[in-house]
Amino acid sequence: MYQQIAMYATVFFVFLLALAFAFVYGESKRSGEYSTIQKKGYKIRKFYFLGLIAIMAFATVMTLGRLPYNSNQAEAEGLNDAKVVQVTGIQYAWEMSEETFKAGDKVQFDVTASDVTHGFGLYNENMELVAQTQAMPGYTNTVYYTFKEPGTYQILCLEYCSAGHHVMVKEIVVEPEGGASYE
Amino acid sequence: MNEAIHPLAKKTVVWYLAVTSLVLILMMIFGVIMLMNQGEMIRITPQWFYKIMTAHGTGMVGIAALGGTAILWYFLSKYVKLNPAILIVNFVLFLTGVSMVLIAIFVFDFSDGWTFLFPLPAQSAKMYGAAGAVFFLSGMLVLGIGFLILYMYLAARLTAVYGGLGKALGWDIIFRGKKGYGPPAAVVATAMVIITNSTALLAGATVLAASLVNIINPAVTMDPLLAKHLTYAFGHIFANCTIYMAVIAVYEVLPEYTKRPWKANKVFLIAWNCSTLFTLMIYTHHLLMDFAVPKWMLIIGQVFSYANGLPVMVVTAYGALMIVYRSRMQWDFASSLFFLSMFGWVAGAIPAIIDATIVVNHVMHNTKWVPGHFHTYMGMGVVAMIIGFMYYFNKTEGNQEHRGIDTFTIALYFAFFMGLVGSFLYAGGISAPRRWAEHLPQWVLSDQAGAVSGIFIVLAAIIFTARFFSGLRSVGSKVPYPKKSAAS
Repeated sequence: MYQQIAMYATVFFVFLLALAFAFVYGESKRSGEYSTIQKKGYKIRKFYFLGLIAIMAFATVMTLGRLPYNSNQAEAEGLNDAKVVQVTGIQYAWEMSEETFKAGDKVQFDVTASDVTHGFGLYNENMELVAQTQAMPGYTNTVYYTFKEPGTYQILCLEYCSAGHHVMVKEIVVEPEGGASYE
Repeated sequence: MNEAIHPLAKKTVVWYLAVTSLVLILMMIFGVIMLMNQGEMIRITPQWFYKIMTAHGTGMVGIAALGGTAILWYFLSKYVKLNPAILIVNFVLFLTGVSMVLIAIFVFDFSDGWTFLFPLPAQSAKMYGAAGAVFFLSGMLVLGIGFLILYMYLAARLTAVYGGLGKALGWDIIFRGKKGYGPPAAVVATAMVIITNSTALLAGATVLAASLVNIINPAVTMDPLLAKHLTYAFGHIFANCTIYMAVIAVYEVLPEYTKRPWKANKVFLIAWNCSTLFTLMIYTHHLLMDFAVPKWMLIIGQVFSYANGLPVMVVTAYGALMIVYRSRMQWDFASSLFFLSMFGWVAGAIPAIIDATIVVNHVMHNTKWVPGHFHTYMGMGVVAMIIGFMYYFNKTEGNQEHRGIDTFTIALYFAFFMGLVGSFLYAGGISAPRRWAEHLPQWVLSDQAGAVSGIFIVLAAIIFTARFFSGLRSVGSKVPYPKKSAAS
């Protein structure tokens, strides 16, 4: 969802920006008194500034309550009974204390690394990135995810970790609820 | 103040620009090779992919800093007498550092990326030998020392002429109610860059030195999270500052073309002071997925990354639009590129701000969205400013004239750069990871679109560079700055 919002928002705002530049370019062929332009321009700028502040404040308010590392939020969503899985990144593999899950499982991934920094990127069956955290030696980062759909998920390394970075992939199978094997 | 640039400094600026333009083409070719490999149009080994990736990142940021420094020095020389020896020392150290970096990568197979994360160099040293990591880290240190010397010298000169960096940033107008305008934009921007980039270089030197010591004596280690803070306090700020140096050309040249003043009023000064502060603070948006970092620090990363967009959106880019509006300005190579560079800067800030939103970053960090943002900012912002300055330099110091091919080349460059960054952003939107030598079939099409766009961008860069070198022939050393108005 956030990927789509990011793409549409970028296209929308860049389009508006391009319009503004195209308009000014078109108007550059005319002449005008600069002091008058400045006076009007500064007036418009106040509204433009307040508009930007409003957009940013709105985005802040809408998003800061949904932080992925907010354990309180995890509890609010009923993730306090989550299945705890230890994940360790090592050039170029992922070691996991558990690798098979069922749809509906609420999972708490405790992620670390034993050699260099890696990136734990959880991809769903459509190869859409659904959650991530860094896997850093000496630190454990906890990320929560609920497997709503069965299927083959993959963990990709998302932090460059040397020449085998792109082969650091692990498949995990999420079976349908009830335990039937997934095909 | 109306100083003249020292003739030796002018010649050195030419060397800076010549190296910048040639390395730019080489690094662009490296970029195209990577995209072609990801797009399955050619096949290189992963080892070579990551070596080229390391060279591309280091080289691009290096030449952006080099070109930005040439702009800064050239225009600051109008207001402050500067000793060209410092510019030359920085150039020599830059070339020395670059040579060491190239030896590290292409002789000793170093491929850990320009923003490597500790303890990766030590780990790589175990596999491929210590020479590569030692050459790379030492080369980066030499580069950093050159820039640090330059900034220390500039700080001393601004202090001598303006009474300190605070006054150069207009603090007496902002805080003490002094009436009138602040120092020229070139001085304000230089003060900002001195403060932020010196901090960045000290952070970088710390992590480079610690990494070197760790390779020599593995018993001496560093906390990886602290090292990552230092790496991005260096890498983010240093890359960011390239545009704060290069934008000086826009502030200096657009008023010439439009015959309108662009003075440092109070709002302008507040904006630059905010940029100084925010640029120092927001590197933490590179650590949003390091959940061990205190939450307040990560929220600062989000909120102040938003705020950091305001000075450019509300003051610099808006100011550029206002000064051009109904100005009957002459559109030529320089004015067109400076105008478009402001579009590139803001257009690059938009996906950056979106990605700095923590919930978005959770599903887009380290995807190709990230290079999508910074290629917009660097390619259509910083590089456009530097190329625009090359033409302006030749026109002002020589007699280069705008031709039809220049209009064509600018259109070619920007059209295909939009294609390139569009392919990156789209790939990020479909979760393609960045820095992967090989891509899955569903990501390949976007790589191919990027590679084709890249080929045309290289073509445009070759034409720009050929025009720059041909224009250099007319540059004489006899006429003091400015020889003539750029708008004439």
